[in-house]
Amino acid sequence: MPISVSRRTLLHGTAAAGAFASLSRFLRNEARAADAAKLSVFAPLPPDPAPPGAAKFSEEAFARWKAANGAEVEYELLAWPQLHDRMATAFASGSAPWDIVYMSGWVPELQSNIIPYADALPKALVDDLPKSSFSTVTVDGKRYGAIFTLSLLTLFYNKALLAKAGFKSPPKDWNELKRFAKELTHDGQYGFVLNYGDPAGIGGTASYWMTYLQQAGGKMYGEDGLPVFKGDAGVDALQLMVDLMPFTDPGSISYAGINDASNVLLAGRAAMMMNWPFMWTAATDPKQSKIVGDVASAVLPAGPAGSASIDGTDAWTVTKSSKNPDKASALIEFYLDAEVQKRQVLDTGWLPIRLSVLADPEVQAKAPNAAVVLEQAKHPYDSFVTPDYTEVTVAVGTEVQKALQGQKTAAQAIADAQDQVTSIVKRRKKAPNQ
Amino acid sequence: MTANATFEQRRRRVGLLFVLPALLVLAVVLGYPIVDSVALALQQVSLRSGVVQQSWVGLDNFRRLFADTTFQRAALNTAYFSSAEVVLVTVISLSIAILLNHPIGRFGIFRILLIVPWAIAPVANAVLWKWILHSNYGVLNGVLKALGVIDVYHVWLGTPASALNFLLLVDVWKSVPFVALLMLAGLQRVPNSLYRAAYMDGAGPWQSFLHVTLPTIRSVIAIAVVLQTIWSLRVFDIVFVLTRGGPADATVLLNFLAYRVTFNFLDLGYGSAIANVVFVLTVILAIVYVRLLWPRERRAG
Amino acid sequence: MSFVKRRHGGPFMRGFVIAGLIVFVLWSAGPVIWLVLSSLMEQQALIAQPPQVVPSSFTLDNFIQVLSAAAALGHGIFNSALVALFSTAVALAFGAPAAYALARLPVPRANNIAFLILATQMLPGIAIAIPLFIAMSKLGLIDSVLSLGFVYLSFNLPIVIWILRGFFMAIPVGIERAAAVDGAGVSATFWHIVLPISIPPMAAAAVFAFVEAWNEFFFALILTRQNAQTVPLVIAQFAGQYQTVFGQMMAAAVISVVPVIALAIVFRNQVVRGFADGMTKG
Repeated sequence: MPISVSRRTLLHGTAAAGAFASLSRFLRNEARAADAAKLSVFAPLPPDPAPPGAAKFSEEAFARWKAANGAEVEYELLAWPQLHDRMATAFASGSAPWDIVYMSGWVPELQSNIIPYADALPKALVDDLPKSSFSTVTVDGKRYGAIFTLSLLTLFYNKALLAKAGFKSPPKDWNELKRFAKELTHDGQYGFVLNYGDPAGIGGTASYWMTYLQQAGGKMYGEDGLPVFKGDAGVDALQLMVDLMPFTDPGSISYAGINDASNVLLAGRAAMMMNWPFMWTAATDPKQSKIVGDVASAVLPAGPAGSASIDGTDAWTVTKSSKNPDKASALIEFYLDAEVQKRQVLDTGWLPIRLSVLADPEVQAKAPNAAVVLEQAKHPYDSFVTPDYTEVTVAVGTEVQKALQGQKTAAQAIADAQDQVTSIVKRRKKAPNQ
Repeated sequence: MTANATFEQRRRRVGLLFVLPALLVLAVVLGYPIVDSVALALQQVSLRSGVVQQSWVGLDNFRRLFADTTFQRAALNTAYFSSAEVVLVTVISLSIAILLNHPIGRFGIFRILLIVPWAIAPVANAVLWKWILHSNYGVLNGVLKALGVIDVYHVWLGTPASALNFLLLVDVWKSVPFVALLMLAGLQRVPNSLYRAAYMDGAGPWQSFLHVTLPTIRSVIAIAVVLQTIWSLRVFDIVFVLTRGGPADATVLLNFLAYRVTFNFLDLGYGSAIANVVFVLTVILAIVYVRLLWPRERRAG
Repeated sequence: MSFVKRRHGGPFMRGFVIAGLIVFVLWSAGPVIWLVLSSLMEQQALIAQPPQVVPSSFTLDNFIQVLSAAAALGHGIFNSALVALFSTAVALAFGAPAAYALARLPVPRANNIAFLILATQMLPGIAIAIPLFIAMSKLGLIDSVLSLGFVYLSFNLPIVIWILRGFFMAIPVGIERAAAVDGAGVSATFWHIVLPISIPPMAAAAVFAFVEAWNEFFFALILTRQNAQTVPLVIAQFAGQYQTVFGQMMAAAVISVVPVIALAIVFRNQVVRGFADGMTKG
């Protein structure tokens, strides 16, 4: 039967053709829209660890990555001390617009808002990372984050000041630490400086005490999650800090951020402090440091149980509300790329986490403290991160501050701290949704 | 008569129409939250991704409150801070107002000096003072050392007592100017005739101050005291910027504690309980002051 | 002794007053002057002990850095302006009629209502902030300039009502009677007779509301994220930064307070009068 091309057929045909054309255009646009993914990253302001584009390194590589993946990346940067508050309220109110979020010790607390993307990272990458680096970001056996910088507290000291006082090498244990600090305190110069102003978080007063706690052989929690630090180890750790106070820069109690303390050391007014590896860059920069060439780093002095430290736990996480979790994961893989990690340490001072990059001779030349950090990593470095970390460190840190100010004895402060932590932990057990 | 009644009715209708939108807005933005705040204080609340989970716990939050040493400390800090601030602000403001009421003080520049601190945001004020009080580079240390008053730089915000008192200083500095302006306005309303009468009776400047000025501006002082009390209980910005409650919780005021508990630890029920305590405290104090300062049957304006 | 001399004391008193005024000027202006000076000095001069206030340490660099690098500040100013204007406008639009009604019209229990509105200002912000936070989270209204402006009505509306009510209560009744005799209804009287003569106190109320909204920190802190950030938040952020470049911090503070200070100085008489009005009459 011949196909008669009636007007209606023509109309239908045209309509169909038009529909098909617009449909394919629509599909193509959809594909393009999916290609131009928009990723939002919430990170600290430099000099705290910040990704390429936020901090000045690997910018061309970053541009290439963005083009190759069809992604736009938007950074929301905030001063480090304010990150947790902003994050917590944003997640609570359901108004967290980010795909990738930086976390430091908050993974267990905010775990319900992020996804365990790190379980799916390529094996080659995971093998190049220290196994223990996942311990603080693993909840219920799933990996919710990826640490991107090897950041442990180590001792930083002014070689010249120590030599002037007759000390040829840094303090090896607690006794030497106290003796050195005493000898180095005179004429407006102090043996020790640290930031005790903020009780909470990693790098807060409580976390410093936890360092000494481990050096004394103690730990925070028992098997049941209840605190067990009231013993000798806890008290001795706090007592060390109290004993050091007369030889510690008096501003320490009011320094909220570690940079306030570093400034004092780099100005030559204090001799020793604990700090994260990135301090090396500031210490060797003539614009920021008056003691370039005199700065050295060493493993933290050993307590009764040896040396120990805490982990900065700087990690990248992917949010549950992210619309492009795969792209986000790919971006994090980019941040962990070997070349990017190398530039991270060479340009910003934040050590890489990849073992292969740490072993690179160029890296070891630029960051001699990397060897020290690796040595420190042979000793325990538990940060005792739990879902209550913020509340616990506020409670413990405040008690530590009271002891440092002489308001309480170390024993009393630790006892009170344990009571408060006990009730915090018990409250969470009663209301696990909190 | 009927015409008048209709006129009155019309006026009442229009009145209600005029008042309604404002009342509606206030009901939404104030009324509902106040009621909900009391309800929240009686619950265990958790907020996750915009989803609320609530469970009634009766007076548990309040029981926990009164046993909490941090709360007790905060209450003490707040009591001291508030009373000290009211006294300081009232006395200093009155002195300034008297100075500016004198012929020598009549220049406009002095009034401008008063209005500037009022206009500065509390946060900006806190940031400025954080810089002034800086332990290593602050100008207060610099000036005092140069004048020989101190020989080493002090950490003004470093010890509990010092930190709380300097916080007080910062807020007093900001609050005084406006209260001074209020008092000045009050002073200028005292009729000259009263002074003349006192002069006729042979009163000197001090006596006319005691017997003419003070009684007449009594209500102004009273209002200033009430207002300053209410404002001092709302202090938050300076604690947040200058000390965040430290050192060792020495500068944790009730307001700040409520914020910390609610938005750092996300314990919303407990935070509401603290907030309600502050509210009740404010009301009680306001009533007490009003009764004390206005023994007659007059209500606060 | 003449009356004036008696009233204001002799030369001893004058000396006392002059000394007092000098102390007052130092106390009031000192910090503000230091604020401006610091913003114009370079970092090295500022961290010298004591700070070196010499001509060679002055620079505009801080302002340049803050204005170019900190887009957040410009964004913050824009948001603050929006929030303050919106909040002030609505407060006036709703508050003026309400104040008039409560002052002049036979609204039942007008005095009680007025007192209640005033009493709400005794609430600490935190008391209403938590329920508002929860409600706005549920409604997805967090981080919106208009929502924040609406929340600000919680204090702006009472302020406007308080100031204007005091003024309205002081208007001679004869004016409204005359209008009524001329056949004007209540509304007409309000819009065409009362409002035009209320410009000064309305300006006062507007300035008050604007300044309070611009400087508000607490609600902005908890109810905004990034889009609706206002100036006080940006300033607080600068202060929380790791490496405080003090000069820039001060420069940012200066930029943030200049608009409001200018406003306050220009309208200083209205502001004091307005507050005094509300206070003595209410």
